[in-house]
Order: sequence, then C-alpha cells, then structure tokens
Amino acid sequence: MAQTSAERGRCVTGVEGLDTVLYGGIPRSNTVLLTGSCGTGKTSLALEFLIHGAAKGENSLFLSVTEDAEKMLANIIPYNFFDDDFVKSGKLVFIDLPVMYERLGMTKAELTMEEIDLLVTAIVSLAKELDTKRLVIDSITSVCYKLKTSEKIRDFILKLSKSLSALDCTSILVSEVSTQSSTYSTFGVEEAISDGIVLMANMERRGDLLRTLQVIKMRGTMHSRAKYVLDLTPEGVLLVPLLKGGSTRA
Amino acid sequence: MTDERVAQHVANELLEVPPSSAISLQMSVDHYLEVLRGVLDMFASKRQVDIIYVTSTISFESIKRVMEALDIDTSRVYFVDCISHLMMGASSGEMDEQVTLVESPTMLENVMLKTEYLIRLSEAEEKLVVIDSINSLAIHNNNWILSEFLHILVSGLRARNVLTVILSVEEHSTPEIANMVNLVCDHGIRTDTKEG
Repeated sequence: MAQTSAERGRCVTGVEGLDTVLYGGIPRSNTVLLTGSCGTGKTSLALEFLIHGAAKGENSLFLSVTEDAEKMLANIIPYNFFDDDFVKSGKLVFIDLPVMYERLGMTKAELTMEEIDLLVTAIVSLAKELDTKRLVIDSITSVCYKLKTSEKIRDFILKLSKSLSALDCTSILVSEVSTQSSTYSTFGVEEAISDGIVLMANMERRGDLLRTLQVIKMRGTMHSRAKYVLDLTPEGVLLVPLLKGGSTRA
Repeated sequence: MTDERVAQHVANELLEVPPSSAISLQMSVDHYLEVLRGVLDMFASKRQVDIIYVTSTISFESIKRVMEALDIDTSRVYFVDCISHLMMGASSGEMDEQVTLVESPTMLENVMLKTEYLIRLSEAEEKLVVIDSINSLAIHNNNWILSEFLHILVSGLRARNVLTVILSVEEHSTPEIANMVNLVCDHGIRTDTKEG
C-alpha cells in the first residue's frame, strides 16, 4: 500500500509544544519558512531545532548571514541541553554565508542567474558533504536582498529546497518581516514556495507584549492553526495556548 | 477551629488526595498563616515535595520572609512572582535563583509558562503548585480569561501528575469565583471558623 501523508516520516523538532502542534514534527525533507518580526524568537527556535537534531545524531548545519558563528555560539550556551561536543564532533556546524559569497567571488550587490545556480550548488554540496539532515538559513531575507527580483528569489528557493529534499534534509528558512507586515515574507515569494510557514509575532494585549507562534501551513501533515504563546527558556522554547478570553476582550 | 488545628486539618486533607488532584482551599483571611504552615510545612516538607508557589498577592520577598518567620523550610519552594514587576520592585528578585518573575498578573499565559519551566527543572518525584490566590488574580483579570487559565493550567498539571492547590479567601470571594474554582477542582478544603 502506498504511504499516505499521515504516515510520512517526521523530523521531530524537539520543541515539545511545536511537535504537538504539528502532530509529531515537521514532515521529513520539508522546507519551512520561519517568519516574524524582530525579537520574536526565530533564531532561538531555529537553533534549538538544530541542537535537538545534533543530540539525536543528525548532522545539523546553520548558515548564518547576519551574525557570525562565534556570536551564535555565545547565544546557545544558556540552553541546558546544549553540549560543546556537538560542535567539536561536527554534528552541529556553523558557516558564515558571507564567507561563502567571498570564496565564490560573489562580490556584487546583485547575483546573476549563473551565480544563483553556483550558490545553490555550493550549499547543496556542503550539505551533501556533511550528510546534513537539518539545515537553517538565517536569514533567507538577507539572501533575497542579493537576488532582488521575484523570479530570481523563486528560482533560488525552488532549486535549493528541491535539492535539499533529495538529500532527505529538513530545512528552516528564517524570514524577517516588519511588525506591520500583512504578508509572511518581505518579497512575497518565499511564502508561496515553502512547504510550511511558521509565524512568530509579538502580540500586544492590554499593554502586555506576548510572544506568539502559529503554524499557518505545513504540507504533509495535519496541524493546529491556533495561536500559542511562547517563552524562551534554558529548557528551550515552551508553548501554551493563547487564552481567548483575553483576545476577544481587549 | 484553633490555629493549630487549621494547619493540621489542611495537612491531613492533603495527605489523603492523589498526587494529580486539584484542590480548592478556601480560608478565612485570619487563617492565612496557618494554611501556609499546613500546606508547606506539615504536608509538603514532610514528603520532600518541590513547591512552585505562584504569588499574585504579595511579592516573593515578603512571602518568603513570612515563611521563614513561620520556620518553614523554603529550600524547596520556587516562586513565580506576578507582582514585584508591577510594584516596580523587581531588581532584587532577578538575583534570586528561587524566583521567576512574571511582568504582570494579567500575563496568565506567562504564569503557565514559568510554572511549566520550573516543573521541568524540578527533579523531585512529587511536585505541588500553589496559586496564591485566585482572588488577587481576579483583581487583574476578568472571569472569562481566569476560568480559561485555570482550566488549561490544572489540566496540564494533572497530566503531569502534579498536585495543585488553589487558595481563595472567603471574605474576598464571589459566587462566580467559587464556581470557577469548583469547576476545575476535584476536592475542597475549608477552614471555617466553625468546627469542621
């Protein structure tokens, strides 16, 4: 009998609340857009996804565009479940994407179609070489700024997600949007191509600022579409349902 | 009921309930200290229970001082303090490892999140969550959201085999608050001034 979507293998994120929302985790090899404005916990959630992967023996790769690896590592240390050995053993690898641009000779502000192909090939080759099963790009928005047009962005994300999927690699693309944004991505293209969208936001209620998380779409699984409130703790991201009484009676 | 008998009565009742229960503990304001002694000292300390004490009535520093004055061992008490920030007196609280601050008692989701966090940190076999009190939470929240909060909190704690005690002060209670607490609790303890 053919495998149904409900039986599809899961990449258990290790974020207990998120795995519950997703009925067991992200369908393996999906490309998920993790989107939200600043200070909503996107990078923390993405890092936790990789650390749990490394702890389970899955090779995990963090491609950083905006922050260097050293700073990233400094942010990891408060997690109770982080182990230095993940990095030392190569289970958790941090790469600065600007260094990759430099090595590939991509010094101009805008990449050509050929350079996009070259960049996809470089990322996929690295993922293949490292036998990466979990990958994060933080942020895809910064990469998109070098692509400029919708066509190039579409081409880049489609090729990248297809190639990573072929490697059985589950990916998270971190996307930055402004607080007032009504779309899930800066360029409007990223959200349409991704297999899943996880929206993180700051919600104000009677003067209180709550961090929220909502799964907007996730191909290959049923999932809750409710809004959850989250907390970033040394035990990782914790989630509880948003109390509705508060949202209807502001 | 004499003060000493109040504490003993509360402890005896708690010793009888299964660990995943939710208990409504309705007291006269005069019995507050004896209730603390009964719950924290005569019940929890004796059984090596880790206590997560959610305070929305007075700051953790004040309640901790009260506990110490009553000779209650506070080494296993972890506070979720919903009031210090509101009183603009949070700075010293941040330094104490036994306290986690919630910015306001209106941030009920954060009360649940901090409670969950402390439960995860606890290595004790038995855990107790004390809500002090439903009446002070009702000052800052409407009954709808408070009712929803209690339902989700208690259901989650039950699933984790954690005992919950919800304190309410008789003199400050309303029928709505009593109904809301009774709805989620499976056992009630009263410290009436009369015998019983």
